[in-house]
Amino acid sequence: MFRGILFAFIGGACITLQGVANSRISHDIGTWQAATVTQFTGFIMALLIYLFVRDGDLGGFRKVKPLYLAGGAFGAVIIYTEVTAIQTIGVTFTISALLIAQLCVTFMIDAFGWFGRTKSKMGAPQLIGLVMMIGGVLIMKL
Amino acid sequence: MALGLLLAAFAGAMVALQTIFNNRTDVHMGSWATTTWVLGMGFLASLVCSLIFEGGRTFNLQHMQPWYWFSGLIGVGVVICLVLGVKILGPTFSVSITLTAQLGFALLFDSMGWLGLEKVPMNWKQLAGVAVIIGGIYVFKFGGKKKQEEVQQPSSALKKSLQQ
Repeated sequence: MFRGILFAFIGGACITLQGVANSRISHDIGTWQAATVTQFTGFIMALLIYLFVRDGDLGGFRKVKPLYLAGGAFGAVIIYTEVTAIQTIGVTFTISALLIAQLCVTFMIDAFGWFGRTKSKMGAPQLIGLVMMIGGVLIMKL
Repeated sequence: MALGLLLAAFAGAMVALQTIFNNRTDVHMGSWATTTWVLGMGFLASLVCSLIFEGGRTFNLQHMQPWYWFSGLIGVGVVICLVLGVKILGPTFSVSITLTAQLGFALLFDSMGWLGLEKVPMNWKQLAGVAVIIGGIYVFKFGGKKKQEEVQQPSSALKKSLQQ
Protein backbone atom coordinates (compact mmCIF):
# COMPACT_ATOMS: atom_id res chain seq x y z
CA MET A 1 0.00 0.00 0.00
CA PHE A 2 2.70 2.46 1.04
CA ARG A 3 4.80 1.38 -1.92
CA GLY A 4 1.88 2.06 -4.24
CA ILE A 5 1.44 5.55 -2.83
CA LEU A 6 5.16 6.16 -3.26
CA PHE A 7 5.13 5.01 -6.90
CA ALA A 8 2.05 7.07 -7.76
CA PHE A 9 3.60 10.10 -6.03
CA ILE A 10 7.01 9.82 -7.71
CA GLY A 11 5.24 9.26 -11.04
CA GLY A 12 3.37 12.54 -10.61
CA ALA A 13 6.54 14.38 -9.58
CA CYS A 14 8.27 13.04 -12.69
CA ILE A 15 5.44 14.19 -14.99
CA THR A 16 5.92 17.75 -13.76
CA LEU A 17 9.72 17.41 -13.87
CA GLN A 18 9.41 16.23 -17.47
CA GLY A 19 7.49 19.37 -18.46
CA VAL A 20 9.99 21.64 -16.75
CA ALA A 21 12.98 19.77 -18.21
CA ASN A 22 11.45 19.98 -21.69
CA SER A 23 10.93 23.69 -21.22
CA ARG A 24 14.58 24.11 -20.16
CA ILE A 25 15.87 22.08 -23.12
CA SER A 26 13.58 23.96 -25.54
CA HIS A 27 15.18 27.18 -24.39
CA ASP A 28 18.55 25.95 -25.68
CA ILE A 29 17.76 23.94 -28.81
CA GLY A 30 14.17 24.82 -29.81
CA THR A 31 10.87 23.25 -28.79
CA TRP A 32 10.29 20.82 -31.67
CA GLN A 33 13.90 19.69 -31.39
CA ALA A 34 13.48 19.12 -27.66
CA ALA A 35 10.34 17.06 -28.30
CA THR A 36 12.24 15.05 -30.91
CA VAL A 37 15.30 14.38 -28.76
CA THR A 38 13.52 13.48 -25.53
CA GLN A 39 11.06 11.15 -27.21
CA PHE A 40 13.85 9.55 -29.21
CA THR A 41 15.85 8.65 -26.11
CA GLY A 42 12.67 7.59 -24.32
CA PHE A 43 11.77 5.39 -27.28
CA ILE A 44 15.17 3.67 -27.31
CA MET A 45 14.99 3.04 -23.56
CA ALA A 46 11.42 1.69 -23.72
CA LEU A 47 12.40 -0.56 -26.62
CA LEU A 48 15.33 -1.99 -24.63
CA ILE A 49 13.08 -2.63 -21.64
CA TYR A 50 10.47 -4.26 -23.87
CA LEU A 51 13.08 -6.54 -25.44
CA PHE A 52 14.19 -7.44 -21.93
CA VAL A 53 10.84 -8.06 -20.22
CA ARG A 54 8.80 -9.17 -23.26
CA ASP A 55 5.57 -8.53 -21.38
CA GLY A 56 3.48 -8.22 -24.50
CA ASP A 57 3.69 -8.28 -28.26
CA LEU A 58 4.79 -5.31 -30.33
CA GLY A 59 3.33 -7.15 -33.34
CA GLY A 60 -0.07 -6.86 -31.70
CA PHE A 61 -0.42 -3.44 -33.34
CA ARG A 62 -2.17 -5.15 -36.24
CA LYS A 63 -5.14 -5.77 -34.00
CA VAL A 64 -5.40 -2.13 -32.89
CA LYS A 65 -7.47 0.46 -34.73
CA PRO A 66 -5.24 2.91 -36.64
CA LEU A 67 -6.84 5.84 -34.81
CA TYR A 68 -5.70 4.46 -31.46
CA LEU A 69 -2.23 3.70 -32.80
CA ALA A 70 -1.90 7.31 -33.91
CA GLY A 71 -2.39 8.48 -30.31
CA GLY A 72 1.35 8.41 -29.77
CA ALA A 73 1.82 11.16 -32.34
CA PHE A 74 -0.11 13.53 -30.05
CA GLY A 75 3.04 13.55 -27.93
CA ALA A 76 4.58 16.08 -30.31
CA VAL A 77 1.75 18.58 -29.92
CA ILE A 78 1.40 17.90 -26.19
CA ILE A 79 5.06 18.69 -25.53
CA TYR A 80 4.98 21.75 -27.78
CA THR A 81 1.89 23.31 -26.21
CA GLU A 82 2.88 22.39 -22.66
CA VAL A 83 6.36 23.88 -23.02
CA THR A 84 4.98 27.06 -24.59
CA ALA A 85 2.45 27.35 -21.78
CA ILE A 86 5.11 26.86 -19.09
CA GLN A 87 7.23 29.56 -20.70
CA THR A 88 4.29 32.00 -20.75
CA ILE A 89 2.39 31.40 -17.50
CA GLY A 90 4.65 29.24 -15.31
CA VAL A 91 4.37 25.66 -14.14
CA THR A 92 1.56 25.92 -11.57
CA PHE A 93 -0.96 27.57 -13.91
CA THR A 94 0.05 25.28 -16.76
CA ILE A 95 -0.40 22.06 -14.79
CA SER A 96 -3.66 23.33 -13.27
CA ALA A 97 -5.25 24.21 -16.62
CA LEU A 98 -3.90 21.03 -18.17
CA LEU A 99 -5.42 18.82 -15.47
CA ILE A 100 -8.79 20.57 -15.61
CA ALA A 101 -9.03 20.08 -19.37
CA GLN A 102 -7.80 16.50 -19.03
CA LEU A 103 -10.47 15.59 -16.48
CA CYS A 104 -13.15 17.49 -18.44
CA VAL A 105 -12.43 15.52 -21.59
CA THR A 106 -12.23 12.23 -19.69
CA PHE A 107 -15.54 13.15 -18.06
CA MET A 108 -17.19 13.71 -21.44
CA ILE A 109 -15.75 10.59 -23.04
CA ASP A 110 -16.89 8.40 -20.16
CA ALA A 111 -20.28 10.07 -19.88
CA PHE A 112 -21.06 9.55 -23.57
CA GLY A 113 -19.23 6.25 -23.93
CA TRP A 114 -17.07 7.47 -26.82
CA PHE A 115 -14.19 5.46 -28.30
CA GLY A 116 -15.75 2.22 -27.15
CA ARG A 117 -15.57 3.14 -23.46
CA THR A 118 -18.22 1.60 -21.29
CA LYS A 119 -20.56 4.41 -20.40
CA SER A 120 -19.95 5.00 -16.76
CA LYS A 121 -21.98 7.00 -14.36
CA MET A 122 -20.69 10.53 -14.31
CA GLY A 123 -22.72 12.73 -12.10
CA ALA A 124 -22.90 15.63 -9.72
CA PRO A 125 -19.71 14.78 -7.78
CA GLN A 126 -17.61 14.91 -10.96
CA LEU A 127 -19.15 18.23 -11.97
CA ILE A 128 -18.60 19.65 -8.48
CA GLY A 129 -15.00 18.43 -8.61
CA LEU A 130 -14.39 20.21 -11.93
CA VAL A 131 -16.03 23.42 -10.66
CA MET A 132 -13.82 23.29 -7.57
CA MET A 133 -10.72 22.90 -9.76
CA ILE A 134 -11.68 25.88 -11.90
CA GLY A 135 -12.41 27.80 -8.70
CA GLY A 136 -8.90 26.98 -7.52
CA VAL A 137 -7.39 28.56 -10.65
CA LEU A 138 -9.54 31.66 -10.11
CA ILE A 139 -8.28 31.91 -6.51
CA MET A 140 -4.69 31.78 -7.77
CA LYS A 141 -5.46 34.56 -10.21
CA LEU A 142 -7.06 36.85 -7.59
CA MET B 1 -2.23 34.79 -19.68
CA ALA B 2 -5.32 33.64 -21.58
CA LEU B 3 -3.25 32.21 -24.42
CA GLY B 4 -1.04 30.26 -22.01
CA LEU B 5 -4.07 28.81 -20.23
CA LEU B 6 -5.60 27.86 -23.56
CA LEU B 7 -2.44 26.10 -24.72
CA ALA B 8 -2.21 24.20 -21.44
CA ALA B 9 -5.89 23.22 -21.68
CA PHE B 10 -5.33 21.99 -25.22
CA ALA B 11 -2.43 19.87 -24.01
CA GLY B 12 -4.65 18.46 -21.28
CA ALA B 13 -7.38 17.51 -23.74
CA MET B 14 -4.80 15.72 -25.88
CA VAL B 15 -3.41 13.92 -22.83
CA ALA B 16 -6.91 12.64 -22.02
CA LEU B 17 -7.42 11.36 -25.57
CA GLN B 18 -3.97 9.84 -25.69
CA THR B 19 -4.47 8.04 -22.38
CA ILE B 20 -7.63 6.40 -23.68
CA PHE B 21 -6.08 5.49 -27.02
CA ASN B 22 -3.06 4.05 -25.23
CA ASN B 23 -5.33 1.93 -23.05
CA ARG B 24 -6.85 0.48 -26.20
CA THR B 25 -3.39 -0.29 -27.57
CA ASP B 26 -2.31 -1.69 -24.23
CA VAL B 27 -4.97 -4.40 -24.34
CA HIS B 28 -3.40 -5.94 -27.45
CA MET B 29 0.27 -5.16 -26.92
CA GLY B 30 1.07 -5.00 -23.21
CA SER B 31 2.46 -1.98 -21.44
CA TRP B 32 6.09 -1.90 -22.63
CA ALA B 33 5.30 -2.58 -26.26
CA THR B 34 2.69 0.20 -25.98
CA THR B 35 5.15 2.60 -24.36
CA THR B 36 7.69 1.83 -27.08
CA TRP B 37 5.08 2.39 -29.77
CA VAL B 38 3.77 5.62 -28.28
CA LEU B 39 7.21 7.17 -27.83
CA GLY B 40 8.23 6.02 -31.32
CA MET B 41 5.19 7.71 -32.83
CA GLY B 42 5.77 10.81 -30.76
CA PHE B 43 9.37 10.93 -31.91
CA LEU B 44 8.41 10.60 -35.59
CA ALA B 45 5.71 13.25 -35.32
CA SER B 46 8.07 15.65 -33.53
CA LEU B 47 10.78 15.06 -36.11
CA VAL B 48 8.36 15.81 -38.94
CA CYS B 49 7.12 18.99 -37.22
CA SER B 50 10.69 20.02 -36.54
CA LEU B 51 11.65 19.54 -40.20
CA ILE B 52 8.59 21.52 -41.33
CA PHE B 53 8.92 24.43 -38.89
CA GLU B 54 12.66 24.55 -38.24
CA GLY B 55 14.08 22.99 -41.40
CA GLY B 56 17.84 22.52 -41.22
CA ARG B 57 17.97 23.89 -37.68
CA THR B 58 16.50 20.56 -36.58
CA PHE B 59 19.97 19.08 -36.48
CA ASN B 60 21.64 22.13 -35.05
CA LEU B 61 22.16 20.72 -31.57
CA GLN B 62 25.37 22.35 -30.40
CA HIS B 63 23.67 23.86 -27.36
CA MET B 64 22.81 20.41 -26.06
CA GLN B 65 24.05 19.75 -22.56
CA PRO B 66 24.90 16.14 -21.82
CA TRP B 67 21.93 15.60 -19.49
CA TYR B 68 19.48 16.62 -22.21
CA TRP B 69 20.15 13.28 -23.85
CA PHE B 70 18.93 11.51 -20.75
CA SER B 71 15.82 13.57 -20.09
CA GLY B 72 13.78 11.14 -22.18
CA LEU B 73 14.38 8.59 -19.45
CA ILE B 74 12.14 10.59 -17.13
CA GLY B 75 9.22 9.55 -19.31
CA VAL B 76 10.17 5.91 -18.94
CA GLY B 77 10.34 6.35 -15.16
CA VAL B 78 6.86 7.87 -15.29
CA VAL B 79 5.48 4.78 -17.03
CA ILE B 80 7.06 2.40 -14.53
CA CYS B 81 5.75 4.37 -11.54
CA LEU B 82 2.23 4.79 -12.91
CA VAL B 83 1.86 1.14 -13.92
CA LEU B 84 3.06 -0.06 -10.51
CA GLY B 85 0.94 2.51 -8.68
CA VAL B 86 -2.23 1.44 -10.48
CA LYS B 87 -1.37 -2.23 -9.98
CA ILE B 88 -1.02 -1.81 -6.23
CA LEU B 89 -3.69 0.79 -5.46
CA GLY B 90 -6.17 0.60 -8.35
CA PRO B 91 -6.71 3.48 -10.77
CA THR B 92 -8.89 5.81 -8.69
CA PHE B 93 -6.62 6.16 -5.68
CA SER B 94 -3.40 5.95 -7.67
CA VAL B 95 -4.35 8.59 -10.22
CA SER B 96 -5.56 10.95 -7.48
CA ILE B 97 -2.17 10.77 -5.77
CA THR B 98 -0.35 11.25 -9.08
CA LEU B 99 -2.37 14.38 -9.92
CA THR B 100 -1.78 15.74 -6.42
CA ALA B 101 1.98 15.22 -6.77
CA GLN B 102 1.92 16.88 -10.21
CA LEU B 103 0.38 20.03 -8.76
CA GLY B 104 2.46 20.02 -5.59
CA PHE B 105 5.69 19.81 -7.56
CA ALA B 106 4.49 22.44 -10.01
CA LEU B 107 4.14 24.83 -7.08
CA LEU B 108 7.53 23.80 -5.74
CA PHE B 109 9.26 24.30 -9.11
CA ASP B 110 7.74 27.74 -9.57
CA SER B 111 8.62 28.90 -6.08
CA MET B 112 12.18 27.61 -6.30
CA GLY B 113 12.77 28.76 -9.86
CA TRP B 114 14.58 25.50 -10.63
CA LEU B 115 15.93 24.63 -14.09
CA GLY B 116 15.93 28.22 -15.27
CA LEU B 117 12.27 28.90 -14.49
CA GLU B 118 11.25 32.39 -13.60
CA LYS B 119 11.00 32.36 -9.82
CA VAL B 120 7.45 32.94 -8.61
CA PRO B 121 7.49 33.35 -4.81
CA MET B 122 4.86 31.20 -3.16
CA ASN B 123 1.96 33.15 -1.67
CA TRP B 124 -1.26 32.29 0.11
CA LYS B 125 -3.36 32.66 -3.06
CA GLN B 126 -1.38 29.97 -4.84
CA LEU B 127 -1.41 27.66 -1.85
CA ALA B 128 -5.15 28.09 -1.34
CA GLY B 129 -5.82 27.71 -5.09
CA VAL B 130 -3.81 24.50 -5.34
CA ALA B 131 -5.48 23.13 -2.19
CA VAL B 132 -8.94 23.75 -3.69
CA ILE B 133 -7.89 22.14 -7.00
CA ILE B 134 -6.61 19.06 -5.17
CA GLY B 135 -9.87 18.92 -3.22
CA GLY B 136 -11.67 19.02 -6.58
CA ILE B 137 -9.57 16.13 -7.86
CA TYR B 138 -10.58 13.94 -4.91
CA VAL B 139 -14.26 14.86 -5.25
CA PHE B 140 -14.04 14.06 -8.98
CA LYS B 141 -12.22 10.76 -8.54
CA PHE B 142 -14.01 9.38 -5.49
CA GLY B 143 -17.43 11.03 -5.72
CA GLY B 144 -20.18 8.42 -5.98
CA LYS B 145 -18.13 5.89 -7.93
CA LYS B 146 -16.83 3.47 -5.32
CA LYS B 147 -15.34 0.14 -6.34
CA GLN B 148 -17.16 -0.54 -9.57
CA GLU B 149 -14.71 1.52 -11.63
CA GLU B 150 -11.65 -0.45 -10.66
CA VAL B 151 -12.70 -3.43 -12.72
CA GLN B 152 -13.11 -1.41 -15.89
CA GLN B 153 -9.63 -0.20 -16.62
CA PRO B 154 -7.38 -3.10 -17.48
CA SER B 155 -3.89 -2.83 -16.15
CA SER B 156 -2.47 -4.44 -19.27
CA ALA B 157 0.02 -7.20 -18.77
CA LEU B 158 -1.17 -8.23 -15.35
CA LYS B 159 -4.77 -8.53 -16.40
CA LYS B 160 -3.86 -10.24 -19.64
CA SER B 161 -1.79 -12.85 -17.91
CA LEU B 162 -4.61 -13.47 -15.47
CA GLN B 163 -6.99 -14.10 -18.32
CA GLN B 164 -4.79 -16.58 -20.11
